[in-house]
Amino acid sequence: MEKVKVMVVDDSRISRMMVSSMLAKTNFEVCAMAENSAEAVALYAKTKPDVVTMDMNLPDADGIECTRRIHAIDPKAKIVMISAMKDAKLIMQGRMAGIGSFLQKPVSTNELIDTLMIMCNENVGAVAVYRESYVTTFAKVLQQSLLSIFGIKSEIEISQNEDSVVRVNGVAAVIGIVGEPKGRVALYMDSDTMYSLSRAMLGMDPQDDLSADEAEAAIEEAGNIIAGRAVSRVNDVFKDKEMRITPPGTVIGTDIILSNPELISFNVIAKTSYGDVHMSVGFARGV
Amino acid sequence: MDVKLVNPFIDAFTTVLPQMGFPTPQRTGMTVNQQNAVSQGVAVIVGFTKEIRGNVVYNMSEETAKFIASTMMMGMPVESFDEMAQSAISEMSNMLTANAATNLTALGLEVDISTPSLTVGSDFQIKISNEQYLSVIMDVSGHQVEIDIAVKQ
Repeated sequence: MEKVKVMVVDDSRISRMMVSSMLAKTNFEVCAMAENSAEAVALYAKTKPDVVTMDMNLPDADGIECTRRIHAIDPKAKIVMISAMKDAKLIMQGRMAGIGSFLQKPVSTNELIDTLMIMCNENVGAVAVYRESYVTTFAKVLQQSLLSIFGIKSEIEISQNEDSVVRVNGVAAVIGIVGEPKGRVALYMDSDTMYSLSRAMLGMDPQDDLSADEAEAAIEEAGNIIAGRAVSRVNDVFKDKEMRITPPGTVIGTDIILSNPELISFNVIAKTSYGDVHMSVGFARGV
Repeated sequence: MDVKLVNPFIDAFTTVLPQMGFPTPQRTGMTVNQQNAVSQGVAVIVGFTKEIRGNVVYNMSEETAKFIASTMMMGMPVESFDEMAQSAISEMSNMLTANAATNLTALGLEVDISTPSLTVGSDFQIKISNEQYLSVIMDVSGHQVEIDIAVKQ
């Protein structure tokens, strides 16, 4: 996915650094940093950012005036104000000047990212937020873990699962997610893939004996590791969140339907030489 | 496996169901198991973690699930175990486990619960523990719900 360009306007070097570090592990890229209004207008014209974070206090003009000047050169400019003060008068003046959203310092990482995402795509709501903030991380961790745990490369595809129904033939390790947001992740695959992957995980040859119990336990442990890593990664980016995982529950059999219509859920498929490894990631509605 | 940790789940079941219009459920059986549980048709898995970790499964036949969903929806007929009925069973599992979590807090054990995972199918296996777990059979108006509980302290 293409990086989303962000320009940070703030007279404080520390504030600029904080915003850039919050965006460092995300899909946003700081393309410009300005410390005053004149510089902001010049850099906006030069770098054409997708979205701007704007401080209220600038040495040569305030953030509202700076917003007006940017809007003069690009009426569609998307600007979010980040200021120490956030009162009704400021919000009203800001809205009239064309500021789309207001955040108060200190701003939390998830607040910033979710706001920037919603601003960059006004038609998207929770689905896109979940997808970009969480599911892409789960997918990356799945891909990296398949390589580190099983030693296999994979191609990843992510899609939204509209009806939130998953069909399992083989094995599914279901791991709950608690904290904010709540949800669950299920790692599942068919039996052949389960045996191949488990042998790879345990360093066994294809002809070595491996019981169903052992193979299922291997997949369960892999699910546990992958979910744990993904949640740690999310916690690392969103420092104010603490998601945790519950112990895995595993279902084994044919024609099992895993149905969670109340969740917003996504399918991640990792295509490997051993077969497809599926991961369903679902979160409770309401960010 | 400490029985003290299982009672909060049973208490939740006997407290919450009457609030939803069911007669008070009766406990009709309790076994300690090692083997995987077998789905009776509809099984909801809810994980929990914090001061104790584990899983609880509400395991029932599709007929029982439809009966429960219908009663929860004020007697509305439930012909098939459709999305609405599934939501009702998920919601019941969520309420039961949240109530059990409150009961556990009263014992000084805080737990956070995950969203319920509803599974449908016949005769598939459910593994919630590498060790022993407890199964309790609850009777609700002649319908049986098996509650499988695995807790680690």
